[in-house]
Amino acid sequence: MKNRSNLVAASGKSRREFLRNGATFAAAGLAGGLSGFPFINRLPVRAQDAPLKFWQFYAPGGQVKPQVEWFEKTVADWNATHDQKVELEFIPNKEYINGPKLATAFASGDGPDIFIISPGDFLRYYNGGVLQDLTPYIDEKARADFPESVLANRMVDGKIFGLPMEVEPMAMFYSIKAFEDAGLNENDVPKTWDELLELGKKLTTPERYGLLFQTAPGYYQNFTWYPFLWQGGGEFQNAEGKSAFDSPATVQALKLWQDAVNSGAAPRQVLGNGANDSVANLASGYCAIQNVGIWAISQLKNNAKDFPYGVFRLPTPANGKYVTVGGGWAFVANSKGKNPEAAGQFCAWALASMDQGSIDRVASWCTEAKSDMPPRDSALKAREAAFSEGIIGQFAKEIHPGTRAEPRVPPEVYKIISDAVQQAMLGGADPQATATTASQRLDAYLASYSGAPIL
Amino acid sequence: MSTSVRPKTKFRHSRLSARNREWIAGYLFVLPDALGLLVFLGLPMLLSLVLGLYDVDGFGAYRFVGMANYTKMMRDPLFWQSAKVTALYALMLVPLLYVCGLSLALLVQKTNRFNGVIRSMFFAPHMVSLIVVALVWQFLVVDKIGVLSRLTPALGLGGISFLGDPDYALFTVVAVSVWFLMGYYMLIFLGGLQDIPAMYYEAATMDGAGPIAKFWYITLPLLKPTSFFVIMISMVAAVAGSQAFDIIWVMTGGGPANSTSVLIVYIYQQAFSFGAFGYAAAMASILVISLMAMTGLMFLLTRGGRFSYE
Repeated sequence: MKNRSNLVAASGKSRREFLRNGATFAAAGLAGGLSGFPFINRLPVRAQDAPLKFWQFYAPGGQVKPQVEWFEKTVADWNATHDQKVELEFIPNKEYINGPKLATAFASGDGPDIFIISPGDFLRYYNGGVLQDLTPYIDEKARADFPESVLANRMVDGKIFGLPMEVEPMAMFYSIKAFEDAGLNENDVPKTWDELLELGKKLTTPERYGLLFQTAPGYYQNFTWYPFLWQGGGEFQNAEGKSAFDSPATVQALKLWQDAVNSGAAPRQVLGNGANDSVANLASGYCAIQNVGIWAISQLKNNAKDFPYGVFRLPTPANGKYVTVGGGWAFVANSKGKNPEAAGQFCAWALASMDQGSIDRVASWCTEAKSDMPPRDSALKAREAAFSEGIIGQFAKEIHPGTRAEPRVPPEVYKIISDAVQQAMLGGADPQATATTASQRLDAYLASYSGAPIL
Repeated sequence: MSTSVRPKTKFRHSRLSARNREWIAGYLFVLPDALGLLVFLGLPMLLSLVLGLYDVDGFGAYRFVGMANYTKMMRDPLFWQSAKVTALYALMLVPLLYVCGLSLALLVQKTNRFNGVIRSMFFAPHMVSLIVVALVWQFLVVDKIGVLSRLTPALGLGGISFLGDPDYALFTVVAVSVWFLMGYYMLIFLGGLQDIPAMYYEAATMDGAGPIAKFWYITLPLLKPTSFFVIMISMVAAVAGSQAFDIIWVMTGGGPANSTSVLIVYIYQQAFSFGAFGYAAAMASILVISLMAMTGLMFLLTRGGRFSYE
């Protein structure tokens, strides 16, 4: 019978040698695994023929079936004609927007090859160096098909890093029944902020709020508040890159939302997925007027088709100018993905080619899958009839012409503005003091900011 | 060789005493768990401490910044606001859980056919997913149309917004947390109550002691080890936010106006919403160190959780 010493000796090595070699082997393994501690070397498998992962949140079983079908068809069409395949991966909405899914994926070096982002998230990914330049894949004619204002917040130094699928202007949707019950009709829609507040109070009942703004903190709340800031001439940053937040325009915009809540006309909480959910809030009877975007048309068409509603453009302050905000998601490619070249080509093929298929795809997304304004002139022309009638026609004629693109801001700027809106609207803080404090925080941050321009 | 022919048992007896063998066996039993804790808790905690010294952009770039994240923390008003909210949350949650858990345990401590069902009912919320709990409560307290919101005008409280008003949101979150957790603490107290020998109560009855005297002079002092455990565990849960996070994230997202933004929510926001992993790690390290200091202090005050009668 051999003991351990004998076994070691039989291999021709002493115990001490065995331990030393073992330690060296372990150290080599550790060094190979952890290069540049604490940065963990991931050595991702970059198999060129593995399908590209396309992350988005339009999952089967979602609110609007045609949207899922549009994504599936887009990928199927690409896969039928290209060697490099693309595969859809559906991420739950709350995991995707403000959730940990994308953040942890990129932090671990395993981000998707293709994904969709809103302007609010653009700088985070651009400054992180993961957005592929899509310019080489878009020909001049196709580029000219996108109005400059639509591409501006996805561009840096003249290069395009994101291709918009849609333009989503904000407006006010109202319940015709609530208006009729209060003895009102479409001629009574408010034109000014004062009229909006008065109407909101008039439409408020023990069971229903007169008007509704987003109440939960987040990118979406900021997005919906910006037009009220702009209408009075306000900005959060001036041409010199310093804070412009401490202004009368900011104060009056904060005060409008605060007054709406304090008067009892607007709720402190919203239903469903938030104030972007017109079915849970407007169609359910929770409110009579809802501040929501153009996508509500398809939400209501698909989930509350018998609900009668109307739309009016955002009212303006005294001496103010009409302006609304236009959001929308964009396709982007991961420059550190498996095959950035193919990912970039996919984005351009899908949304920014002069092929009829690409134009129809954009038009179909904006009219059949969703109810959005198209980001391309050719797509608008392709569905001219659809954009000339009904509620979407009203958007095209009255609401969309005053659209300003959603700003792109770093997360820190978003948080400062979000805190100001929350404190004034729900915390009851003095709007002037809130604007001043937020402006000081903005100045402190902007002084040290380095990255692509904030727009 | 001599070792190969020596009987195995004799070999062992000659090397290890019975006490040492028991000692080794004990540690071998603990080893798998200890290894798990080391790999999945100890190592990440250590890495988190190191990560706090880096500026991490969330896309693979790491830059050593020394104590910069910690100095930023000291000047960050939202960090202090979150620390204050965390302290308030813990100060409300721990005593309420203690009182509710103990009250329920006293209520159902006698073993009979009804108490079995009632105990299960009190424990039932703990069996439900926290996300479901938060969603259901959010629906119950929603402005104007929630079941509880409809009751408040009848009680003369006007139209209270339980989750939309910074003055009430934290109380609402605490109430939901207590509702969810009290059944679990009831079980722990039940275990403690059943350990108290019945003869003490019999002797007290013969001496003419009433229920309050029995509770005050027998139950409460003999429950000290259980109380210590409950207070420590609930305090760690409250400060670390192990349950609070899910409830708060679903019900309020840290709002309104940061009024429910406990530290763990702020840390989560910094890491996953803003991609500031280094700063989040630094805050997490401070949170862990504070927790260790608090538990250490409690152990010190109670001499390691030992009490005079033990």
